[in-house]
This record gives sequence, C-alpha cells and structure tokens, in this order.
Amino acid sequence: MVRTALLIALLAAAAALPAAAQTGGRGTANPPQYQVGDRLEAAKADKAAPKDAGRYREVKWDELISPSWNPEAIIKSMNLGLMMDGDPRANAALEKLRQEWDNAPGNPALDGAEVRLAGFVVPLEREGNALREFLLVPYFGACIHVPPPPANQIVHVVSPKPVPNAATMDAVWVSGKLALSATATAMGRSSYRLTAATVEAYRKP
Amino acid sequence: MKTLLGLALRSAWNRRLTLGLTLAAVALSSLLLLGVERLRADLRASFAMSVSGVDLVVGARGSPVQLMLYSVFRMGEVSQNMSWASVQWLEQQPGVAWTVPVSLGDSHRGYPVLGTTPAYFDRFRYGDRRELRLVAGRRFEGVFEAVLGAEVAERLGYRLGEQIALAHGSGEGPTAEHSDRPFVVVGILGRTGTPVDRSVHVSLQSMQALHLDWAGGAPIPGLAIPAPMLRKFDLTPKSVTAVFVGLDNRAAVFGLQRAVNGHGGEALMGVLPGVALDELWQLVAVAERYAQLVSLLVVAVGLTGLVAVILAGLNERRRELAILRSVGARPLDIFALLALEGGTLSLAGSVLGAALVWVLVLMLGPWLQANYGLTLASGPPGATEWRLLAGIIAVGVAAGLLPSWRAYRLSLADGMTPRL
Repeated sequence: MVRTALLIALLAAAAALPAAAQTGGRGTANPPQYQVGDRLEAAKADKAAPKDAGRYREVKWDELISPSWNPEAIIKSMNLGLMMDGDPRANAALEKLRQEWDNAPGNPALDGAEVRLAGFVVPLEREGNALREFLLVPYFGACIHVPPPPANQIVHVVSPKPVPNAATMDAVWVSGKLALSATATAMGRSSYRLTAATVEAYRKP
Repeated sequence: MKTLLGLALRSAWNRRLTLGLTLAAVALSSLLLLGVERLRADLRASFAMSVSGVDLVVGARGSPVQLMLYSVFRMGEVSQNMSWASVQWLEQQPGVAWTVPVSLGDSHRGYPVLGTTPAYFDRFRYGDRRELRLVAGRRFEGVFEAVLGAEVAERLGYRLGEQIALAHGSGEGPTAEHSDRPFVVVGILGRTGTPVDRSVHVSLQSMQALHLDWAGGAPIPGLAIPAPMLRKFDLTPKSVTAVFVGLDNRAAVFGLQRAVNGHGGEALMGVLPGVALDELWQLVAVAERYAQLVSLLVVAVGLTGLVAVILAGLNERRRELAILRSVGARPLDIFALLALEGGTLSLAGSVLGAALVWVLVLMLGPWLQANYGLTLASGPPGATEWRLLAGIIAVGVAAGLLPSWRAYRLSLADGMTPRL
C-alpha cells in the first residue's frame, strides 16, 4: 500500500511539471484583471514602490498636462447644444477638437525631470520577445478598443535595455528621464519621450 | 562511491538493451518537449524580426492579423486591395514622414512577387533596425526589372541579367504565366533571415504593366499589347495591397490610426505591427498550450516507463542485490546504486533529447527558411529550455527513488532466502 501511495505521489510530481512550464512560458495571455478604461492606482508608501523609488519622483498622468491647456473652453465656445446630429458645424467642431487632442501640449515643467510613471504598454519595437520601444498610456484599452487619449497623455518610452516578456496592455512602472519633444506644433511641444532606466511589472498596491 | 559507480555501470551494461530502449524513450520525450519550446520561442523571435521601424501598416479594412500576415510575412492570400487615391491621401496626412506602398498577389515559382517603390530599399528595416543591402547589381529603375531576395537567387540559381517570367496568382505548378513580359534580374539582396529573402521585388509600374491587358482576370485574345508599346500607357498603379507608414513622431501614431480608420473615401484600417503581433500570439497561444500539454504528458509517459523498467528489473536482480548484500553492501548502498541508475538514465536521456533538438534544428532550419522565411536559432538552449531540462531531470531523479526505496526495503531479507 505504501508503494502504491508512493507511485501516486510520483505521478503527481510528474504532473507538477506542467505548472513549472507554465511559469516558464512567457504569457502573452494577460490575465483579464483590468477593464477597458481602468487606470492604475498610485503606489502606496512602501511595498508596491520599486526599489529605486528614491531617485525618481512619482508623477501622476494629470501632471503631464500643460496647466495652460483647457479643452473645456473650446467645447464651451462651440454651442453644441444648438446643433443637430450630422450638422456640418458639429462635424467641423469635432474635427477641431480632434486636432486639439492630437496636439495637446505637455507640461514644460516636466521637461528633463527624472520621473516614475505607471501605465499600460502598447508595443512598438521588438527584439524577439523583448521590447525596446513602446508607448505608455494611462488607461487600459486606450488606443486599441477606445479612442486614444490626447497627445500629452501618451509617452514614448525607449528602453536601452530590452524589456523581456512584455505584451500589449501589460501594466508597468517606468522610471527614467522625461523629455518634451523638440519639435513644436502650433499649440506647443506636445509629445513626451521617456528614456527608461528601469521597467518593472506593476503590482497592485 | 567509486566502487558503487563501477558496479552500477557494469550492472547496467548487462541490461543494456532494456535500459537503452528506456533511454531512447526518455530522450525522445525530452526531444518533443524541448522541440516544442524551441519552435515556439524561435517562431516568435522570427516574426518579431521581420519588421522594424514601421509605425503603421495601412490596408483595406479587415482583420489586422491577416493584413500583417500577408503584407509583412507573405503568408496567406490578399483579401482586398486599397486604391491609389488613398495612398496619395495618406502621404499628405500631417506627421507622416514616409510611405512605402506594397502590392502582392503574383508569384514566381512559388516565391511571392512584391511590387513597391524604390523607397522600400531605404525605409524597410528588419531585426534591430537593420537596413536591406544589395550584394549584387542595383535597385530596379525601369519597367520589367526585378530585385531578388537572397533565398530566391540561391535556390533558383539566378544571376544578374537573367530573364524570368512572373505568374499570376500564387503557388507552384501550372499557373498563368506572364511569359510574354519577361523581367530582367538587376539586383540581388543580402540574406536577412526574414520573408524578404523569399520575395521578388519589382516596381509598382511593372506590376501595372504586367496586368494591362488582363481585363477580367484573363488574357484576352487579340488584345495583347506588345511589350515595347507598354511604355505608352499610363502605368500609375490603380491599387496596392498595403502601405507601410513611418512617422516623424512615433507617439502620434494613434492620431493617424484614427484618421485612417475614419477615412471617408474608402474603408481603410491602420495596424500597429507590435499590437497585431500580440494579437496573433494570443490566437496561437491556445494551440501552443495544447502542444505543451501533450509533450509534457509524453515526458510523464517516458519517465513512468523508466520507473517501470527499473522496478521490473528488481525482480531479475534479486540475486545480484542479495549477493551484494552478502559481501557487505549496506542497504543504503543498494538504495544509492538504484538511485544512481535512475538519475543517470534521466540525465542522459534529457541531454540526449536536447542534443537531438539541436541536430533537428540544424537539419530542418534550412527547409523552414526556404519555405516560410522563418529562422530557427541553432544556438544553446534558452532560459525556458534550461528550466524544462532541469525539470525533467529533477522529476526523473525523484521517480528513480521509488525502485530504490523498494530495493532498500526488500534487500534486507529478500533474495537471501529464495523461494524455489
């Protein structure tokens, strides 16, 4: 009887191999823990904060918006209440709003700042399974399932060290130096570029 | 310990046939497990390598994954083209740095023909932003000039100046050849390890000229236009399959994507290559899981066989073990002897399996490269493979403890008092 029990135990051990392989296998299958539109909570004091928290200041996505940018003023100036669906003026207004969105200016105060930012990954350049460039967006599903956020809410991350095992819409902490693009559009310098020192998986605080 | 090893070896040599077969079973099951993992990792790396520096791939509206598959990886069939007017519209969008239209659908002896503009050679990147490089000749300039990928040139033995006929549609065998309009090979590209190696590159104008008198999808008798007359026609392409787009600022890609998706003139779609690849992997992941599961089960079967063989061997070795006991071997020595056997077998089996993977990759790699433009790396095992290898050995050693334990318990009394 002891032997039978041992045999069963061994078979169970063999069955445990799949589990080992699962952890070994990189997951593109992102566990559906986020809903479209979900944002990441800020790190609470200690345990969720990555090790290099001291050097990099944690910034919230709202801080990336230029204090002078006020899309509401434009919306208010449009008198949308007086228009019908399909009104050419409504379409023109929408077009104007889109342009405003695509050129939304960034916050000059953050140019050159060393920051830490949590967001979701949209991959750009890969090296095997590792990522060298990606866009960081503030909420889950942005740009893929729902319209993209304004330009100042998209950060182009370049990581000199390739980030292993990253897939679309993975939640990460990125620490590094933030820079506003040198090229200015009509409304200001709108796009952020972040040279990443570290990229870590985001853990729920 | 040394005596023990010698004993174990000589005893094993006595039973070489059974143990050899068990070793083969373990080796083959490890081959399957490691091979599946290698294939999985390399296919991903190979796909990811095929495109770089392209911010958006634009094509007719449909499945993003499919658009990527045929425009970048040259797999599957083109479902729908987009009009030239849309290409011109796209070029004028703010923020667009460059566009490279590509047109697919024809083939040469099974190799896909890619109609494009000379800008393709400047803009297209693969791997770690590496550029395409000509090893011989020049780019196409005029009509009916072709630049070959490395694989095409090598396989078909083409040199510069050779005349080749393109065929309508894809696939090998009797296809409708445009044999009245031969192309001249003017350039050969260096090897990239991507689908570019398998492509025949021609200009969009050539592509248009090729199909001028093919109204209704077939050459119409009496309407054939002699080749020298072709240049008098307007060879502006009417449609293309897809357009690769590069931006001044990569973060602006979503704005353009939305503009493309909302384009009023034609149903278009913009795809971020990285995102489409992830979608593809999500589709493939299910099949991968099954392959992994099956190969894990096969490993379990292999190791169970190993244990069964050693256990069965115990019976025929009763005398042997009893003699060992009688000349002074402790029960623990017997235990170690058998554990050594099981451990060595699983170690040798899995290492042999890993070696087989390596051999197989060396043998199969060129074929995959030639037929699908995918590269298998014949390098050392990756991190996951090491983990799997360690897992097989650990479970094998653990499983080997079962017969050892049994022998340990039995060897005290059994065999000394044979029941005849």
